[in-house]
Amino acid sequence: MSSLQSLFKPNSIAVIGASNNKEKIGYSIVENIKNCGYSGAVYPINPKEKEILGYQCYPSIGEIGRPVDVAVISIPAAPSLQVARECGQAGVKFLVVITAGFKEIGEVGLKREKELLEICREYNMRLVGPNVVGIMDTHSPLNASFADGSPEKGEIAFISQSGAMLLAILDWSRSRGLGFSRFVSMGNKADLNEVDFIWSAAEDPNTKVILAYLEDVTDGKRFIQVVREASLKKPVIILKSGTSSAGARAASSHTGALAGSDLAYDVAFRQCGVIRVQEMSDLFDLAISFINQPVPAGDRVAIVTNSGGPGIIATDSVERNGLHMARFSKETIEKMRQHLPVEASLYNPVDVLGDARADRFNVALEAVLEDEQTDSLLLLLSPTAVTEPEKTAESLVSLRKKYASKPIFASLTGGKRLEKGARILTQAGIPCFPFPEPALKSIAGMVSYTRLRQKIQRRTPLPEVTEKAKATVKAILYDVMRDHRSVLLGNEASQVAAAYGIPVAPIYLAKTPEEAITIADSLGYPIVLKVASPKIIHKSDVGGVQVGLENAAQVREGYLKIMDSVSRLLPGTPVYGIEVQKMMPKGPETIIGMTRDLQFGPLLAFGLGGIYVNLLKDVSFRLAEGLNMEEIEEMITETKAHTLLRGYRGSTPCDLCAITEALARVARLSLDFPEIKEIDLNPVIAYPDSAMALDVKITAANENEQEE
Amino acid sequence: MKSIFLGGMAGSGKTAIALGLALKLQDEGFKVGYFKPISTTKDLHQTQDQDVLLFQKVLSLPHGAEVISPVRIGPYCLSGGTKRSPESLKRKILEAWKTVAQDLDVVLVDGYLSPYTAASLGLDAISLIKMLDSTMLYVIRMEDDYSLDKSLFYNNHFRLSGIPVLGNIFNNVERTLLDKTRGVYAPILEEQGHVVLGVIPRKTEIASPTVQEFYEALEGVLLTEENVGLNRLVEDVVIGSMTIDGALSYLRRAPNKAVITGGDRSDLAITALETSTSVLILTGGLYPDVSVLSRAIEKKVPVILVHYDTYTTIERLHEVTRRIRPEDEIGIQIAKKNIADHCRWQAVVEYVKG
Repeated sequence: MSSLQSLFKPNSIAVIGASNNKEKIGYSIVENIKNCGYSGAVYPINPKEKEILGYQCYPSIGEIGRPVDVAVISIPAAPSLQVARECGQAGVKFLVVITAGFKEIGEVGLKREKELLEICREYNMRLVGPNVVGIMDTHSPLNASFADGSPEKGEIAFISQSGAMLLAILDWSRSRGLGFSRFVSMGNKADLNEVDFIWSAAEDPNTKVILAYLEDVTDGKRFIQVVREASLKKPVIILKSGTSSAGARAASSHTGALAGSDLAYDVAFRQCGVIRVQEMSDLFDLAISFINQPVPAGDRVAIVTNSGGPGIIATDSVERNGLHMARFSKETIEKMRQHLPVEASLYNPVDVLGDARADRFNVALEAVLEDEQTDSLLLLLSPTAVTEPEKTAESLVSLRKKYASKPIFASLTGGKRLEKGARILTQAGIPCFPFPEPALKSIAGMVSYTRLRQKIQRRTPLPEVTEKAKATVKAILYDVMRDHRSVLLGNEASQVAAAYGIPVAPIYLAKTPEEAITIADSLGYPIVLKVASPKIIHKSDVGGVQVGLENAAQVREGYLKIMDSVSRLLPGTPVYGIEVQKMMPKGPETIIGMTRDLQFGPLLAFGLGGIYVNLLKDVSFRLAEGLNMEEIEEMITETKAHTLLRGYRGSTPCDLCAITEALARVARLSLDFPEIKEIDLNPVIAYPDSAMALDVKITAANENEQEE
Repeated sequence: MKSIFLGGMAGSGKTAIALGLALKLQDEGFKVGYFKPISTTKDLHQTQDQDVLLFQKVLSLPHGAEVISPVRIGPYCLSGGTKRSPESLKRKILEAWKTVAQDLDVVLVDGYLSPYTAASLGLDAISLIKMLDSTMLYVIRMEDDYSLDKSLFYNNHFRLSGIPVLGNIFNNVERTLLDKTRGVYAPILEEQGHVVLGVIPRKTEIASPTVQEFYEALEGVLLTEENVGLNRLVEDVVIGSMTIDGALSYLRRAPNKAVITGGDRSDLAITALETSTSVLILTGGLYPDVSVLSRAIEKKVPVILVHYDTYTTIERLHEVTRRIRPEDEIGIQIAKKNIADHCRWQAVVEYVKG
């Protein structure tokens, strides 16, 4: 994976479409390059000009006669292809195509974009865009964009799929005094996409935090592999839009983004250690927190306030954000009791009372920070007649130096009285908010980063299977495809599962009542009969299931009953026969499923099963990509089913290992066979010493059907 | 000169059988002709019956379409007035027949719709067979046990009306009914003294309609390139109206499908294009986003826009059946192979000779 060093710190940069006309984008780009302090060679390209902004202008890129690292293209779409070719011939390494009029406008643009990509591949050029605002690196320094100037220097990298958002944030950041290391506009992501830029930012020594706004992920598999490694280095915070179905539709309209399952994105981000935010403001609040504060060791928060009401609100907010209130040691309580008035509340939240001056605050703050139980601190200050906001702020600042490993936040709820105090805190790098909630959201975000990083460390890989097993499955899938089906029959799915060691009660196909009896005799009674038809999903709803058949006569009768019922209720539906299965003893029902997400690959699900699964929705999810056994165990514990399985109200505990193993093998099957699109094991009965699926449904597809 | 009349219900596949037989008989050295006494056009723009065009090309017939198919009627035929009197129509047919049958060893006569069609004009299958001194080859399409009842009833009726019956062919038999057809249905017919000449399994390559047939039935606007993807087979029709969450799993279940959804559902359309889809039908006259069209073009999936609603769309697609076109080389060969592999064509040869 390249670090894109020459892109962000090029030795030379050409601007094709540069102009002396102040109204044109071609002018803004050159102006930005000049004003940002870029120290390399600048070559404006315009056959009609001799000189632009003090730089010698060339008629074409081929005539410069010296190597060019980056070429920024800002001419209309149609001629841009020829120019791209010329850049390739001149040995340019990176193209930044500002021009719009590609995939985003439809068929004509799509063709054009494909051609552009081919040209880049031919000449080994990497492409940013097309349809971008540009790129900026404040440390390099470089501003190759048509934005209104550069951001302030800082340590946050911001990568955006929306150019407009980038421009808005740029302006806002300057008024907030918030600095950035990089601004990247990705545009159509024809070549370089979020994975490349996130990785590059993770490798960049000047970047401490990585922010991204995405509407979709181009290559899910690669995303998981690369971003997981990136998050181990630096926090990656992502805002992905299109979460609601209306939003998804809007995203599809905007970029043609696949309305992929938001659930899969959520799971993918968590598995990669990415912190996902839902609102724009959270993106930057969190970034500021990560820049200025250490990552907390745990989720225990201490609150020190001089106002009871806000204290309670903040406490509620702690729980709501999935954090905990720290419980102080006796020593801490004693320390505070000695110096604080009797009416003060010493148990978290610490209320030093409305008449507290800076000294009382100092006692409480120091005692609380000293306590081992405190992972992070929030100071809540309201203005009363005697409050000393500046002094209090200063003591917090000096305490921070002493307790540098614990993140400290402040919420100064008030107006002019607290302004100076707030400024002292902000300048010292202590994030200061007008209300407690955003502060706690930030702490929660940081805590989740700690948790996620810890998780990624452990990994026992999924089990492997033999070549013979794979060949068996391949053969079955081949037969299904040849029959022009997507849905496997019960007996076919049962064989696939058995090949991979997934425990399923075997299913055999009978085409006549006599055959059913023969199978039943060999399996042993009691027997279950189910109609075999790829078109019938809910078999019991159409009289397609007969259970508890104790002998041959009942099997024959059951067989005929099913055929009669199905042909009456669903005439014309193809029936391949009747599935014969031995009945299994009762037990707690769980469900194991896999659906292949279009971006991220197989998405595993586990939860409470049976016919109410769609109603109760007690399910946990993981992506099979990069999955390990520890992660699967954790997945099981996230559900209520887990409590049931461990033994609830007198029932015997079940074999969780068997369930874990089954899940792992389903994941392995999904990873080995991309043709398999859905797997549904429902119910999987959990017994004390094993697990057994009573039904298995598999949907497959031929990847290359009817290609012309 | 012998003639074989292909009878059977509408959609049973008479024309494909006629095609296969014609080619096989040609191979055996016979001079073969084709006659379709009654036909129709279903398209405002077509002037010829498609089957006639097919046989003209395949058999290199020297006559014009008006001779090969002299009478055009439709569901409104009884209100035609004197021009449509049964007598004048019969005369027309007999005249054309004289021309068509000249210098040939055998003529295959294609029945129109079902055996009872045009009975009110005295031009039903049985009447035509008597008129042309032909013999019945009955083509049966099986769906369930009731279909057998129907065939038995018709065969008994043929016997009662005294027309010669060459035999029955079970056509386009689904894989799931194949065993039952061979083991139960055919024997029942034979027990009652009716001849079974063949059981032909369904071959989706000629039995399923293509996007072209759908396009003709819908009369919508083709939003993607002409002639790209129109020969894709359509094996299922699916309506996409659900929210996006369950859509992917649902759409994955049917390969080679037609997906019908509102033009404003870009999310569903794009998801459908990620599964095995043969054609996208967008309803309500709502022009789709460029992203949908780009993706469809990339995947070579035709997109048809209709201005009416989903229910109407389904209604119009009800009657879509596959036509083998003159350019469909593969389809023509399959039709021939079906007869060669699954039909007692030797019995037909015996009949033509003897």
